[in-house]
Amino acid sequence: MNERAPRIALVTGWLLLAFSLPLGLTLEALHAWKVPVYLGSALRRELWTLAHAHGNLLGILCLVFAALGARVGGTDAQRARLARWLAIGAVLMPLGFLLGGVMNREGDPSYGIVLVPAGAVILMIALFGTARLALGRSGEVDPA
Amino acid sequence: MRAPLTLLLAALAAPIFVASSLSWGPDPSAAIAAQELVHRNGGHVGSAICRDCHEDHYTSWRRTHHAQMTQRPGADNVRGVFDGRVVRYEGQEARPFRDGDRFLIDVPTTNAEAHGRRIAEVALMVGSRRYQQYFERQQRGDSVAFVRLPILWHIEQQRWLHLNTVFLGPDDANWHAHAATWNENCIFCHNTAPEPRARNNAARAGALPQFDSEVAELGISCESCHGPGAEHARAHQSPLVRYVGAGDGAEAAAKNPSRFDQERAVSVCGQCHGARLPNPLARVRDWFHSGPTYRVGDKLLEHVTPIERDTKVLSGDPEQYSLRFWGDGTARLSAYELQGVLASPCYQQGTMTCQSCHSMHTGDPHGQLRPDRPGNQLCTQCHETIAKDVRAHTHHDPAGSGSSCVECHMPKIVYGVLEIHRSHRIELPDPARDAETARPHACTLCHTDRTLPWAAQQMQQWWGPKFRTPVQRADRAPLAVPDAIASLHAGDAAVRAVYAAAIGRATTAPAATDTVAQRAHLAVAMGDGYPSVRWLAQRSLQQLEQRAPIGLAELLHGIDSMAGPQPRRDAVFATLDGIAHKAGNRLMPPTTGALLGTDLRLDLPAVIRLTDLQGRNVISIGE
Repeated sequence: MNERAPRIALVTGWLLLAFSLPLGLTLEALHAWKVPVYLGSALRRELWTLAHAHGNLLGILCLVFAALGARVGGTDAQRARLARWLAIGAVLMPLGFLLGGVMNREGDPSYGIVLVPAGAVILMIALFGTARLALGRSGEVDPA
Repeated sequence: MRAPLTLLLAALAAPIFVASSLSWGPDPSAAIAAQELVHRNGGHVGSAICRDCHEDHYTSWRRTHHAQMTQRPGADNVRGVFDGRVVRYEGQEARPFRDGDRFLIDVPTTNAEAHGRRIAEVALMVGSRRYQQYFERQQRGDSVAFVRLPILWHIEQQRWLHLNTVFLGPDDANWHAHAATWNENCIFCHNTAPEPRARNNAARAGALPQFDSEVAELGISCESCHGPGAEHARAHQSPLVRYVGAGDGAEAAAKNPSRFDQERAVSVCGQCHGARLPNPLARVRDWFHSGPTYRVGDKLLEHVTPIERDTKVLSGDPEQYSLRFWGDGTARLSAYELQGVLASPCYQQGTMTCQSCHSMHTGDPHGQLRPDRPGNQLCTQCHETIAKDVRAHTHHDPAGSGSSCVECHMPKIVYGVLEIHRSHRIELPDPARDAETARPHACTLCHTDRTLPWAAQQMQQWWGPKFRTPVQRADRAPLAVPDAIASLHAGDAAVRAVYAAAIGRATTAPAATDTVAQRAHLAVAMGDGYPSVRWLAQRSLQQLEQRAPIGLAELLHGIDSMAGPQPRRDAVFATLDGIAHKAGNRLMPPTTGALLGTDLRLDLPAVIRLTDLQGRNVISIGE
């Protein structure tokens, strides 16, 4: 646990879960009490539901990376770099969905939505990087 | 201590963020309530609030024409083609065109002699099924009125028509004869919880009436049929009320017309589908200020008096009401469905309500008939014995239109929005009654080649002597002439319109190849003095041409029912010539008595004798 990579992924993962689970609870409460200002905008409901779902799933992904990251191979510096990319992407995507539903117009999300594609690209870089390291290591194990 | 604090802050961040952004951000429901013309009086909340919980019902309602009855114009809901092409009628013209998001019509000014023109901008639209009417916004001091523009878009026909040509009235060169004000007319039945708020400024001679009109919602929305929703929405906001029935939720249940007793159930639809006067009449002041006093769940007749044939007209044309009914008191104009239902044995002696046949949330939005009871099942849900042996009752092919309950008991004899609709007075056909009261007869609306005495003879043979043989027609046309042909020429404008529409229907008894005489008479009706009759006759000819072509499709397509007298005359004679020259080897020869010779030339003197029976009285029936 002294490595930087699992530390970054762990903190990000738990914080994302700590944020996203109460977000889901909040949204459920808004449904339960039929709060018109929330229910009145279908787009906002969809965006915030996506924020909740992405926050939780990406939080879990960060925790998986923290637990299994060491097995993908590479140096600590390489894994730490990947963990940072993963953390940034995992935070940006739900944040983009959340902000996209703030002050949005009827048909379009607000400008916060630009964080979503940005986060998605960064997330993909992290995942491809991880896959590359993992494939490289598996190549070492099984040269055939 | 740092880690737990960080996690706590993260956990609190989401609800704080959501609460903050919801309180600072835009509120869609509040934005609707803040729009011009919209009020939130009397506990009304608008359909957006209903949608929060009843998404499926909201969606099923949104697809209906009720929902689109009155709309603000936008690129997605304007049906008319605003392409700058000119629309001509009675020597004047209009030009609908678009300027970005604005829909404009270049129209003549009311002072026709000055030949002035002006540009009117569409601010409100009424209608979405048959035609869409356009209203401009007029600033009257510090108040606003919406006034109808002279042309409308006919959705089925995909063309512009002048208002004077769609109502049941003769040609009229006054382009602004139907420039009705939305605030004191359409507002009542084409919107939810209307409040016209007419200002009491009648004393100011010559001044246009002023209004501060508002409605709970443009169009007919949830609260028109379920009552104001504020109390219901408030009471059901808590999940404890919804799931465990705590609090006052049960008392605040939304009203459901399908659970009303019979009178209250028909009252819901009858509040609009039944032309009426306030009861007592003195309530008219309330109507023009805060709107009709009826509320969903009330008995409508405690608030209104339905207009009947003998309803006394207090001022203006003494025939204003009587002209809207056939001689026997059956309505012949649409929006009198309530009167028909109330006069029907199915209502008086049975349990029928509007919901017995109609459904507001399911089925085809055109007509909104219950999809779970297709065809005759609407009637046989009560009349079970007839369903067991249809032929024994109808004496017609059980699979044909002759065995359709509504063809005989709810015939299409009601004029409205340039169309002929079914009567909602469910009753027996009666040839003698119909002859004596100048009313279209159900049998001859299908059997367009038959006479009223023939219909009486058939009915006596099948159902006994209670059906009398007619001895004279009210219009004094000879009984030996097929009823459809006699009525098409000798009837008043409503009769002519009904038969002009009937002859072309696919459900008529003579095959399309056996309608040469009907076609010739329809050609004459294309020269009628009433543009709506002309248009219905032209449509029937086109329908017959489609089913049994004789090579007149192009000619008929090119005829304009709004054209002037000379082009109309030319069209009539060109069509008659076309029939005489082209029908011989394509259609069956005419039957005797149909006023068409074997040379396929009309017996014009006989036709003129019939048209002379129309009388010189102009009838003009506003809707």
